[in-house]
Amino acid sequence: MNLLMRRKLINRIALTLSMGAMLFGLFWLTWILWTVFDLGVSGLSLNLFTQMTPPPGASDGGLLNAIAGSVLMVTLATLLGTPIGILAGVYLAEYGRFNVLGQTTRFINDLLLSAPSIVIGLFVYALIVANTGKFSAWSGVVALALIVLPVVVRTTENMLQLVPNTLREAAFALGAPKRVVISKVTLRAARAGVVTGVLLAIARIAGETAPLLFTALSNQFWTLNLNEPMANLPVTIFKFAMSPFVEWQQLAWAGVFLITLGVLALNIIARVFLRAEKLN
Amino acid sequence: MDIANAQLEFRNFNFYYGKFHALKNINFRMARHTVTAFIGPSGCGKSTLLRTINRMYDLYPDQRAEGELLFDGRNLLASDIDVSILRAKIGMVFQKPTPFPMSIYDNIAFGVRLHEKLSVAEMDERVEWALRKAALWEEVKDKLKQSGMSLSGGQQQRLCIARGIAVKPEVLLLDEPTSALDPISTSRIEELVDELKKEFTIVIVTHNMQQAARISDYTAYMYLGEMVEFGVTDELFLKPKRKETEDYITGRFG
Amino acid sequence: MTKLGDRLFSGVARSFAVLTLVLLAGIIVALTVASWPSIQAYGIGFLFSPEWNPPMEKFGALVPVYGTLVTALIALVIAVPVSFGIALFLTELSPRWLRRPLGTAIELLAAIPSIVYGMWGLLVFAPIFAQYVQPALQNTLGHLPLIGRLFAGPPLGIGLLCAGVILAIMIIPYIASVMRDVFEVTPAMLKESAYGLGCTTWEVVWRVVLPYTKTGVVGGVMLGLGRALGETMAVTFVIGNTNFLSTASLFAPGNSITSALANEFAEADPGLHTAALMELGLILFVITLCVLVVSKLLLQRLSKGEGGRS
Repeated sequence: MNLLMRRKLINRIALTLSMGAMLFGLFWLTWILWTVFDLGVSGLSLNLFTQMTPPPGASDGGLLNAIAGSVLMVTLATLLGTPIGILAGVYLAEYGRFNVLGQTTRFINDLLLSAPSIVIGLFVYALIVANTGKFSAWSGVVALALIVLPVVVRTTENMLQLVPNTLREAAFALGAPKRVVISKVTLRAARAGVVTGVLLAIARIAGETAPLLFTALSNQFWTLNLNEPMANLPVTIFKFAMSPFVEWQQLAWAGVFLITLGVLALNIIARVFLRAEKLN
Repeated sequence: MDIANAQLEFRNFNFYYGKFHALKNINFRMARHTVTAFIGPSGCGKSTLLRTINRMYDLYPDQRAEGELLFDGRNLLASDIDVSILRAKIGMVFQKPTPFPMSIYDNIAFGVRLHEKLSVAEMDERVEWALRKAALWEEVKDKLKQSGMSLSGGQQQRLCIARGIAVKPEVLLLDEPTSALDPISTSRIEELVDELKKEFTIVIVTHNMQQAARISDYTAYMYLGEMVEFGVTDELFLKPKRKETEDYITGRFG
Repeated sequence: MTKLGDRLFSGVARSFAVLTLVLLAGIIVALTVASWPSIQAYGIGFLFSPEWNPPMEKFGALVPVYGTLVTALIALVIAVPVSFGIALFLTELSPRWLRRPLGTAIELLAAIPSIVYGMWGLLVFAPIFAQYVQPALQNTLGHLPLIGRLFAGPPLGIGLLCAGVILAIMIIPYIASVMRDVFEVTPAMLKESAYGLGCTTWEVVWRVVLPYTKTGVVGGVMLGLGRALGETMAVTFVIGNTNFLSTASLFAPGNSITSALANEFAEADPGLHTAALMELGLILFVITLCVLVVSKLLLQRLSKGEGGRS
């Protein structure tokens, strides 16, 4: 009987701790989101979207150039990385599922997926910035595209693998050539998943700071010239948050709020989208 | 065989999966040291019925039982029943072998350690006893430290039976124990059941009517959640009282 | 025509796959080339020298490498048990209707950009950490022999311990999701067998589910470790950014490879300083790659169904 009581007690303690761990996780999520919301909303103003980043000590200013720069670079990086990623994913799922090239690429791609993003920044620096002799927005775009790539490759491949083989066979049986089968049938069947992957990739790079630190750098002024350093939200936040100026910190909170909102929205849209499509 | 002196008894027993009424008004008795088989088409509720006996359904919040299930006169459905103790008295073996990811020895000792504190020598003795009972000792005595998963399917299933009886239960529940096994392993398990009923009350679910006829003393035929007929196996198979039973056992079913 | 079209299509797809493949090699080559001056100048001694003095052109990786490893280790010590608890809760305890929302909430924790963690850590968490948590640690664990030395010194808030805690919060969702996923692949029948012997929920998870899924669990932990080692922003904000290492205390500020890069690289002089930073990056990349390869291999082994072999 004693043994039984001890086992029950251990069980109860362990399960209570497990519940505690769950609460612990939720606690941080709530705390962080609450802070970001609280301080971010109070920093929101029209100026944020109409004014440039201010010099130190100036009382008014916004994040217009940083927001524009981020949107531009993230868009270009997505446009650059997505098609390459989708086609590489197609190769892995439709051509190289079992051959050596396919399997090696799959393995390497998974490593890149979790590789430190700051190293991607160093790589692009060594490849582009060091050779052109200047920081530029388009080197930032390349760095972000390199982060998009493995995410898209991975989701495209996974989603294509879920497409039943009978569908492929049915298309082939009609005499369709392979590229048509892939582009018109299998990719279309996996569309929802691929779109989800792209959305998640955008969410991922929208908040990426490290790869931009030595590529796009930052810029206090408005520019859309890809050959110059360009302002962007994450690096601006980094700079402003680390500064001793209250105004800058406030802008940083507003920026963090915008990024968090955007990233969470993208994540939730991606999930909802995928689930809706799955139910169909 | 004295079925009046029942060890297990179902009285006005009903079972629900959420809103679905899975077992309807079940009433019957099982005597000590007999083998009772549940037969019937898939989905008839025979496995569900078996799983109520050790309250396995407790794991799933949307499943509930009503009525009485008496074990030596005590209602097992009562909320004050400790399922841990109950399950030490009522062992179970599943459709597929489920060796735990540990050595053969530890697979057997695992359950024993839950309920008893034994010395090393006593434990060795118990492990050997259980493995001998399950007719596996000769095959594994030299490799007790090997993983339980290294055994063949039939051996794994006998390991699971040994694991179940090592706890020294009174009742052994077998849920289609041979459905994943080849014919030779199956017949070894059947011989084993015959041997084990000297010490344990055995309840077996099977989709194989010949198996029920070969090894059980009593048979219950179930259909759509109802117990259509229950009786001494030979009588049930030779002269079934109900037309539905006859149709099923003669293969005219459905 | 059809043939040509098909060949073109597969050719392009294949070349993009190859591009992904050579990217990894490209990174290693580019970093090696860029760090060559530093490799030549300091050799293997680079790893063991604690001195980092840009004006004197003296560079050693010991302080940032130590910072990277220690913060990642702290993160694991906190995150592994918590993640295990979360996975246990999600798979065995939570009511069914709560599982998906709670699981999503934990996954969203992973979606929050690291810069948010960093800024929050510096401006919100660190002051509270310094005021309440660190003194409490000092008053309890601080009195123990040996271990006490880890909690010595003034409670500044920012420092190695703070960075480790923030990292832990960041990697909990990664480890917890993997653990939950592998726990879910444990066959229901195996769990029921254990329950059938009279096991409690804890005994089933600890003695059957965990051994059954151990490769996957270790894979998930390694994945979290990989993340922790390579994380930049969350660490840079709160680690204190100093290149001096004079105490064993976890309260002390320090530097990690990533924070050194984030702070110094853009302003580094071309030449040895840049090369030394590149070498730091190379070291980081090699360490994380090793960790990730192990993680990947373990998770692959599990998905092949060999998870239970002991």
